[in-house]
Amino acid sequence: MAESSQSRGKKRSRSESEDDPDADAASLQSIQLENDLTFTDTAVALQMMKAQFPKLDKVVVRPFILRSQLYSSVKDRTQVDRDLESLKKEAVVRVFKLNTGKDDHAIMFMDDYLAQMENAVKRYDVKDKELSEVFDWFKQYVIKSKTDVSISHPDLCSLLSNGGDVTEKHVTLLINAGLLTRQLIDQNLYWFAIPNIGSILKGLSQGRKELLSLINQTKYKEMVLANLEKKRLRLSPLDIRFHIRDLIGSGLLKTVQSPIGVLIRLSRD
Amino acid sequence: MKMWKAIKEREDGSLRPSAFRKGVVSSRAASLHLSNSKEFISLHRGAINSLQIDSTEGRYLLSAASDGTVAVFDTHQPTSSHSHEGPIAKHRSLFHLTGAHKFAISNALWYPVDTGLFITASFDHYVKLWDTNSTQVVMDYKLPAKVYGIAMSAFATTHTLIATATADVQVRLCDLASGAFTHTLSGHRDGVMSVEWSSSSEFVLMTGGCDGAIRFWDIRRPGSFLVLDQSLSQLGRRPPLLPRAFNNEPSSHPTSSKSSSSIRILAAQKRTSQKKIQLKPATQRSHPGMTSSQNHATAHYGAVNGLRATADGLYLLSSGSDSRLRLWDIESGRNTLVNYEAMHIQTSKPIQLAVTPDSSLVFVPCMASLKAYDVWSGTTINTYRGHYESVNCCFFNAQDQELYTGSNDRQILVWSPSIPAATQMETDCKGGTSIDQDNWSD
Repeated sequence: MAESSQSRGKKRSRSESEDDPDADAASLQSIQLENDLTFTDTAVALQMMKAQFPKLDKVVVRPFILRSQLYSSVKDRTQVDRDLESLKKEAVVRVFKLNTGKDDHAIMFMDDYLAQMENAVKRYDVKDKELSEVFDWFKQYVIKSKTDVSISHPDLCSLLSNGGDVTEKHVTLLINAGLLTRQLIDQNLYWFAIPNIGSILKGLSQGRKELLSLINQTKYKEMVLANLEKKRLRLSPLDIRFHIRDLIGSGLLKTVQSPIGVLIRLSRD
Repeated sequence: MKMWKAIKEREDGSLRPSAFRKGVVSSRAASLHLSNSKEFISLHRGAINSLQIDSTEGRYLLSAASDGTVAVFDTHQPTSSHSHEGPIAKHRSLFHLTGAHKFAISNALWYPVDTGLFITASFDHYVKLWDTNSTQVVMDYKLPAKVYGIAMSAFATTHTLIATATADVQVRLCDLASGAFTHTLSGHRDGVMSVEWSSSSEFVLMTGGCDGAIRFWDIRRPGSFLVLDQSLSQLGRRPPLLPRAFNNEPSSHPTSSKSSSSIRILAAQKRTSQKKIQLKPATQRSHPGMTSSQNHATAHYGAVNGLRATADGLYLLSSGSDSRLRLWDIESGRNTLVNYEAMHIQTSKPIQLAVTPDSSLVFVPCMASLKAYDVWSGTTINTYRGHYESVNCCFFNAQDQELYTGSNDRQILVWSPSIPAATQMETDCKGGTSIDQDNWSD
């Protein structure tokens, strides 16, 4: 299924992306959503984009999807928000707020996130072996019960203390392992974070700038999609299709139908 | 809508008069374009920060600018010194006050009862009350920090309080009748950028702060009774009865989450004897109204720079510097998760949103253009491009279905419905007679 979806036309029109999944619906049932008989468009779009996540050489990261990409592939944004909310509550996916630009969110499936967490914990060598049990407490108590993007310090301590004594050192360990990040606005709130994703985020913001400058350099600030997809970005390990989707969803680029195909144009405000 | 057909239907009773009116008003509101029949000559030499039309007559437009000047325009009668100045009616200001304030004026309001008084608020820390006819200051209030916005309740009968949003964390209410500060509302953790009175109760005030929180205050009691949290959401217009709501999820109730977490903390303390965590020390005794000051829920990821309640008093629209516009259900206090397509909102100044009275369209200034969105689906209905620089404020005149916008380029632009009713009836008439001509003979 993954190969077939990758070999198709890269930027499929919206009607196509909603027709495709019906053929693959049967194969998708085996993955988490077995209780549902009907698939919302959002859930299917998430599955499709997870399958198209680029393979990275240097870093091993489980696939994640940006919220703006979801907006560009499903027509009704309000419906996307509402579906995401219900998927979040059912603990099928997890949403993380990223610090690249305003209002960036990354969506990851729950089992991908847990696998990523395991990898990160294994790779992080803990000086004090007694503190490493905090990772189990985190997984067992905090992730299961808190479905938001952030958590406050008293809440975190009370949830972790279900496992045992909690000290400041435990929380420091969680932050050092990359599972929690501090917020700049409020000292008592932490964001949940995807560990080991820093280099990719840097690539994300630089790739965005590079793609925008690429289109900006053209005479009429537009480019044919087919030509654009053949290019490779120097600064970002993620492929160009990822960035195109992301920028269309956040409104900085727009697609225009033309007799030669789909054009990508820089949107003026 | 076809005007002649609609009039016929109204005549014979198949279309109710209120539905006819609603149809005409909404089609006009959805077809706005830069007016080619009317313009305002503004003598402001600074960015225009606020526009308002009085609610009593719906006729006089009050504008305030960054150079400390205030002007009033008559929107009905053009001022023409010559007999015929061209096809566009020019409206000059009825008066233009220079030197009203030392620094920029951030907001100017008409007194809700009549146009005899108006109030201006400025970055020079003063809120001044002016007599319109003599253009003199009647009263002024000195505030501790620069004032971002003011609001007065449109239908208050028991009080004449001006709510002021300043860079100070406390919201002060100034009384017109006595000239003193009657209330000080504390709870925000950073300056307050926008303030709005509820359109259903004269005692409820809504404030949006630079910390991203939106708080609801009942001025008869201390403390805010509701803090909007963007993570608490409902799907649709009314909160549905979810079966999950009974499995006490910690995130489903805003007020109980605080008490349940404190219960859990106490229980955890009892379980483990040695507690090394330093929890936030309780600073004061928990008065029922003041516990909300510890609620750090945010409605936006940046500052809340615009608030507008719908005319029916059921929903609140808030815009933030994270470039999101959110629709809140006031009664349940939840985010309705309507996603308004990509917009870029300027982050430094408060902006003025406008909603049509039937709550179908919301107008949002997005950088140099103004966008109209459908309130419930979030789709962009129209983008109005005409200003050369960032648009700061907009006001929708419900009587004529005209939109006035003011921006940093010192201009006030008028947007009126594209087809005036008379022309619409003519075109319908032409279409009608051609059909009739064929059918006249037997």
